[in-house]
Amino acid sequence: MGKAIVITSGKGGVGKTTTSANIGTALALMGKRVCLMDLDIGLRNLDVVLGLDNRIIYDIVDVAEGRAKLPQALVKDKRFDDKLYLLPAAQNTDKTALQPEQVKEIVDELKPDYDYVLIDCPAGIEQGFMNAVAGADAAIVVTTPEISAVRDADRVVGLLEQHPLTEAPRLLINRIRRNMMQDGSMMDIDEITHHLGIELLGIIFDDDAVITTSNKGEPIVMQTDNPASQGYRNVARRLEGETVPLMKITEQEDTGFWHKVSGWFHRG
Amino acid sequence: MQAAVLRGTQNGYDLVLKQSASLDQVLVDLKALLENLKVDPQTMDAKVSLDVLTEDRILTADEKTKIEQLVAGYPRFEIHKIAANVITLADAIQLRERENVHLLSKVIRNGQEVVMQGDVLFLGTIHEGGKLRTSGNIFSMGSVAGILQAGYPDDESKLIMGNLQTAQQVRIAEQFDIVEPAQLTDSRQTIAYVNDLHVLSYGKLEQLKKINPKLYNQIGGI
Repeated sequence: MGKAIVITSGKGGVGKTTTSANIGTALALMGKRVCLMDLDIGLRNLDVVLGLDNRIIYDIVDVAEGRAKLPQALVKDKRFDDKLYLLPAAQNTDKTALQPEQVKEIVDELKPDYDYVLIDCPAGIEQGFMNAVAGADAAIVVTTPEISAVRDADRVVGLLEQHPLTEAPRLLINRIRRNMMQDGSMMDIDEITHHLGIELLGIIFDDDAVITTSNKGEPIVMQTDNPASQGYRNVARRLEGETVPLMKITEQEDTGFWHKVSGWFHRG
Repeated sequence: MQAAVLRGTQNGYDLVLKQSASLDQVLVDLKALLENLKVDPQTMDAKVSLDVLTEDRILTADEKTKIEQLVAGYPRFEIHKIAANVITLADAIQLRERENVHLLSKVIRNGQEVVMQGDVLFLGTIHEGGKLRTSGNIFSMGSVAGILQAGYPDDESKLIMGNLQTAQQVRIAEQFDIVEPAQLTDSRQTIAYVNDLHVLSYGKLEQLKKINPKLYNQIGGI
């Protein structure tokens, strides 16, 4: 029996969809069977980030309303050898097209066949949020080191505490800029974690490659040496119960030629 | 034994309705009693005011109306109040809520509002956008970055004590103050209160006697 994890944030644009795609891909690369569920009805884009947008035949609303069977709607990602599937969102309906019970039913149907069901939650805390949370066992709250995102995360944690899931929500801090955090112009990781009072699941460094890769429909975790990719893979390992230390903010890798040359002089 | 008994006291008359009798019996006996005491309205001097005591029985609104209607038929008498020795569990709980100091230790997050009755000793954390509201005083030992409201909805005699430096707003009854960054000192002994001009102001714990003599006396001052 798999575990259903909702990826939520309250605020839009903090990287819920990117996070869902990358954690899902990272878990699939570890050999886990993963189903990604896009619940951002009307504004679906998890399929685009995964490069699966051209393969959609049916969507989640078709399944909920009985126009298609669940296996028919699932889109297989061929890159991952039967490990990664996507249940796409509908585009021509709004968030009220689904009811929490319907979502729960679909999640419960998926759970026996997969190790992880990752639910990509829409922004906001209305019906779409309620739908996404309905079937979940656990939650990952995504935030960025910005006051507005942290405030909204606080609100969402409050809502999750009011309707507790099986597991307490965990925090993922996205888009960390190492230089800004080092010189103190960005909110500190400890400060955010302490403020929200939930367990920190991982930190992801901001990286240009996240945008370029997702534009190509290829999640960043497939580039092994990228720091953002590393962050997502660490999160996946922690979900699997491994103890992985947090990546260091200070370890700014500079592999340029002059850096190496100056390294020789400093070594003595 | 009569189910309705009239008793003279220093302050007037008590009409005791025995709890051991059924209400129907009480009404019958009460009618008989009032009939006996009936006088001609012309010769009547002052009205007799009755305190109706129902012993350990709580009358419902309907039952109260029945008794009031019955007494209303006799112009010599009027009901001052109807009282029982007992209260309902719901009233008792409310009373306890109102009179006690409640310990509250929780995280009130952005968008959440915790509503309490009576005085609150707050040991938790209020995040920005969170709100704690009570009808009594608030004594805060926790960290407050949100909104505190005491004396809700309209009791301006209530106080808020604690470190209010980081709060967003302090409200007492209908008065409120937006706490500016450098307005208050970082002290647990800050008191927020409503002054005689109905303006929310701040003081220190040592001024409590002056600020709110009633509370000061109640908690052990002389």
